[in-house]
Parts: sequence; structure tokens; C-alpha cells
Amino acid sequence: MTSLSSETKRGARNQDVNMDVSHSIRERTIAENSLVILLQGLHGQVTTVDLRDESTARGRIINVDAFMNIRLEKVLYRDRRGRVSSMDDLFITGRNVRYVHIPDHMNIIETIETQLAKIHRVRNFGASGGRKEYSKKKIFL
Amino acid sequence: MEEGERESENGRCSAPSQTSDPQTTPETSSQNRETDGDDIETKLDISSDKFDPLLALYSPQVPLPYPSIKCFNNIAEYESFMKGGRGRAKPENVEKRLRKAQKGKADPERIERLKKLMVNNPVEEGEGSGVKRPPPQRKAAKNVLTRMPLHTGSPLGQLNRCVQEEIRVKVHIRTFKGLRGVCSGFVVAFDKFWNLAMVDVDETYREPLLGQALYHEKALTVIRLFEKLKVQETVALSATERKSDLHSSSSHLRDQTRRTDPKHTQERSEPSEKDETTLKVTQKSETKPKVEYGRVHTRHVNQLFIRGENVLLVNMQQD
Repeated sequence: MTSLSSETKRGARNQDVNMDVSHSIRERTIAENSLVILLQGLHGQVTTVDLRDESTARGRIINVDAFMNIRLEKVLYRDRRGRVSSMDDLFITGRNVRYVHIPDHMNIIETIETQLAKIHRVRNFGASGGRKEYSKKKIFL
Repeated sequence: MEEGERESENGRCSAPSQTSDPQTTPETSSQNRETDGDDIETKLDISSDKFDPLLALYSPQVPLPYPSIKCFNNIAEYESFMKGGRGRAKPENVEKRLRKAQKGKADPERIERLKKLMVNNPVEEGEGSGVKRPPPQRKAAKNVLTRMPLHTGSPLGQLNRCVQEEIRVKVHIRTFKGLRGVCSGFVVAFDKFWNLAMVDVDETYREPLLGQALYHEKALTVIRLFEKLKVQETVALSATERKSDLHSSSSHLRDQTRRTDPKHTQERSEPSEKDETTLKVTQKSETKPKVEYGRVHTRHVNQLFIRGENVLLVNMQQD
């Protein structure tokens, strides 16, 4: 119970809730060991995502999950025939992503390291003195 | 009764002095002299019939039957004590208190049992409570950045070398069938899925063909890709030349189309025809936009993330 309340406190402290690390341990480890974490560091940036089918979507990244599913808002979507349309919200399945353009001002290694630090913080926060999701120690009687 | 009281009063007066004082009343004086010593003792004796409480309260030396008995301030206190309230030293309570005092110390037998069950922990002698030990931080951080140099000896190890030595690489990108294009740039980070984070990327790619051409087209190769690019560039150049000279000879144009024709027969015939028609149209100095399919494009992207699924191969640019 204590860790729950601490998590909400932490959420309240962060101004942007989307910056928060995924609550699933599985997604955290997948993200931690792959380059998806770089995309997760792009939360809130305006970028272009090139899709597998040659269409492009330019908008603000709301959220990227461990499977590279991307949620964008205020999107300018150009389909492969070149027709442009505007959308408020767009969800792209991870498999359909080909490229993600990274804004020029972002340093790739630094973004990765910041995201890793966030995961590290979350993991240690819950693990030390709080409720653990999976207890690694055996329980003696 | 009154006499007795008067006697005791006289006795009281005489007792502190401990002398046989001449009493006022002749009756009592003789009695007092006689029974002084014995009387006092019996009167002070609690268990005797002649116990005199007033005498006992004021006498300096009262023989107490149980000197070290528990004292109470009033009868109510005594009553509650007898009823067995909190703090009363009943035998069970005493035992409980002793057990609680012993609680901090772990049972040595239990400690030994637990130590035997512990894995990977050396059993040390002389440890007080061996159950709770601070978990040793033996796990090094394993994340995407630390995993990059781990692939030595494998192709990903070569890719890591490109990252470390900042070698420019060419990444072939795939379409669902065959080659789409080539990205030339520096790899900054990668992972086991071949997702690449690249900088300073020059991308050369061809738009996919649509419809029938899809089935009939010859597989695109890198050589064909760049040749087509060159051809496109020359066509574009000549197009701009044509625009600058408003009217050019038709023969010149026809030569152009003839040169481009063999290239275009690789794709569907329609675009070549369209080219001819559009070229003819431009003869009339009407600039109709060329709708040529399968154009090759180049673009530069400063920082690009490529999903590994789309990577065909990576080769190093030898320079």
C-alpha cells in the first residue's frame, strides 16, 4: 500500500504524466534492452514517422510502448499516393513503422541514458523497502 | 467500658515515658504498675485479643508480623490487587514477561537450520542473526547500451565496431519484396533487432511500383538503383535545359526518349509512353507534371531511427 501511494505522489510531481515509465515490468525490461527506449525519450516531440507502406505521419508523439506502437496527436498524414489529411489522433502499430525521424536538437545517447535512469529509479523505488512484484528471495518459515 | 478506656488512656500516657507514673485514679494505677510490660506487648500484638490499635499507631516499635509485605494506600487498591488486575504477578504473567525479554535473541537452533537452507551464502561462525543480510549488488546494469559491445564475434559485433570507430555504413532498406533503397550514414546505436539509430543519413530510395508493374518488374538492385538515379538526374538536367530554350528540336527530344526507352522497358511500357507524350507536350511549351512511376529520390535526414525489420543488409563504406 505504501508503494502505491508513493507512486501517485511521484506521478503528481511529474508535470507531464506521459513521461512516466510504463507500469508493466515486462514492458520496462523489453524497452530497457532495445532501442525502443530511444523512441520513448521522444515523448512530446513533434516528429515524422515513415510507415512501411510509404505513407508518412507528422505529429506530436504522445506515447510509445515497448512494442513500438506509437500514438500521435495533431497529425498531418500523407498517404502513399500523396494525399494529405489532418487528424487529431493517430495510433500506429509497431510493425508498420519503418522510420522515425528524430529531431535535430536531441542527443541520441543522452536521451537513452535519461530514459534508462528513469527506469532504474522506478525499479529501485519499489524494490527497496516497498512491495515487490516478484520476490526474488525464497520465503523461509 | 469507660473504665477500660480511661485505663488505656492512662496506659498511653504512661507508655511513652516507660515509667510507672503515679496515676490520678487509684484504681488504674495499681493495675498499670502490674501489667505494664506484658500489657504493652500484648496490646501491640496484632493477633492478640488485647490488641490496642491506638497504642500501635503511636508506639515507636511495633512488632510487624510480615515486615516486607506489599503496602497499599487504601482498601480499594488492595481489593483490585486481590482481583488480579494488570501488573499482578500471577505465575503466567511472569512467564510471559520473561519470554518477551528473550524475544530479540534468535533461537540458535533456528539459526543453524536457516543457514543450511541458504544458497550461495558462506556459513560464517559468530554471526548473531544470520537471516537478514543486505542483498549483495552483484548484478551489473544490463541495458541496451551495455549490450552493444557484447556481440563480439558475431555480425552485430562488426556493427558495434562501426559504432565505435565511426565508420560510415550503407544500410539497405527493404520493401515487402526486394530492395527499397539505401541509407548512408553513421550508426550511433543499435540493438539485437537491428533497430538502428543513425546520424547524417543520405537516403536514396525508389518509390514502389503500383499495380501490374509489381509483378512484371525486374528486381531492383543497388546498381540499377543508382543508374536510374543518374538517368533521372540527366533527364532532369535536360528538362531544365529544355525549359531554358523554349523551343528545341524535336529530334533532340526523340533522342532523349530513345535513350530512356530501354531503361523504361524494364518497367511497364505506359510510363515511357507517357514520357513521350509529356515530352511532346512540353514541346508545345506547356509544362505538364511528369507522372513517372518508380522515381528514385534522395533526401538527407540528420537523425534517423530505422526499425530493424526493414533492414536488408548493412555494409561498410570502405574509404
